[in-house]
Amino acid sequence: MTHNLENHIEEMAGKPRTPDQLRQEIKARIGRLQAAANHGLWAMALFIAISTCALGDFSFFPSLPDEFQAMLGKPPSFNMISGALVLYSFSAIILILSRMMGGSGEGSPFPHVLYLTAFYGFYHFAKGLDENFWAVFAAGITVLGLESYRIWTHCNDEIRKEQERLIELERKRAFWSDDEPR
Amino acid sequence: MPKSFSARAIVPVALAITGFVVVCCLLLYSVMKRDMTRDAVQHATNLADTIVKSTRYAMLKSDRETVGNIIRNIGDQQGVEHVRIFNKKGLVMFSAASDELNHFVDKKAEGCIGCHSGPEPITTLGKMDQARQFKNEKGRKVLAITAPVYNEPACYTAPCHVHNASQKVLGTLDIGLSQEPLQKTLITMGERMAVFTLMILALTIGGVAALLRRSVFVPLELLRSYAAELRNGNLETSPPPCEGELKEVTGTLQQMSRELRESRSRRE
Repeated sequence: MTHNLENHIEEMAGKPRTPDQLRQEIKARIGRLQAAANHGLWAMALFIAISTCALGDFSFFPSLPDEFQAMLGKPPSFNMISGALVLYSFSAIILILSRMMGGSGEGSPFPHVLYLTAFYGFYHFAKGLDENFWAVFAAGITVLGLESYRIWTHCNDEIRKEQERLIELERKRAFWSDDEPR
Repeated sequence: MPKSFSARAIVPVALAITGFVVVCCLLLYSVMKRDMTRDAVQHATNLADTIVKSTRYAMLKSDRETVGNIIRNIGDQQGVEHVRIFNKKGLVMFSAASDELNHFVDKKAEGCIGCHSGPEPITTLGKMDQARQFKNEKGRKVLAITAPVYNEPACYTAPCHVHNASQKVLGTLDIGLSQEPLQKTLITMGERMAVFTLMILALTIGGVAALLRRSVFVPLELLRSYAAELRNGNLETSPPPCEGELKEVTGTLQQMSRELRESRSRRE
């Protein structure tokens, strides 16, 4: 999603640039970070849209042909799906908290939307979605809420650092332009 | 973006703990509800089997009065919403409700359509498949069980009977039990789980918040006030009592203020 600041500085240090080029690069990077900060909200909106379909037991969509359902085989038991959901929620929360602790900007919220949709699908085929909908929904809101918060705080921290760099650049530019002979 | 240190520290912890506990409670409630429903179905199935076995001898003897009496007595029991025996054509032969007698059951009714949706009704069902859950005409939730009365050698060899050996099912016992006790138990269980969840959340989040406040936020606030005093030129302020890493920061600030004071006195 985003490069960290150290990589960015190394990248910049490797290539000599004019102050204008640097400013443009920092501004572009701020724009990318601002866009990335909203990824969590987009993922949350997508998940809520999928959950709305799941609330009606996917009745909007045509049911799968019997041959295809037979090919898929017997769905896993409720206990197995519920156990997997608990395991997934726990590991996802731990992963997000560890990334938050390490200040890492890695990871995207969209794979979580895919995993949660898969849980809706499993419960749907096991004919238990009406009983377990709220559990998947609560897991989704928790995981995506935490992931969105992590991405948002990380991007805002990075934007603040970039803005400080931009201010520093402007200050140096003003200093050198004052020294130029008139 | 939350600027305060306390908000940044507590929000993710509170969200993670609340979410995970809620997910676990919802899944636990769902599992317990399924287990309790399965037990209720098992109980109703056993009851239906008992009725079929109790009426077997009277049916073999074609003693309609005794069968009707048994069915009426069972129907008078508290929690029994309906009990009836109908023949293969769906004609109610015995029922606790006298107005149902000699009437055909509605195969398209909510409790019957499950087996009668196709051109041929399903004749062999597992224990859980025999159970239907629906609301009856009185608006009560009912768990109904159908137990087929299968044709046995004793039935088609009896001199008084007309069944032939090829007939698989002679009739069906249909008993409906009120789900009110089960629903009440589930509601009570849900409420207790909600209270338990809230207590866990209050204890966990409150505990984390209290510990963070005591160990981090209050010493930080004292340190911030101390730094503000120094910035305002009040170099005689005594440093706050801090422990650990914050004590090192306090020491550094104190050292800087001491050097500043000495430097000022030298200049004067």
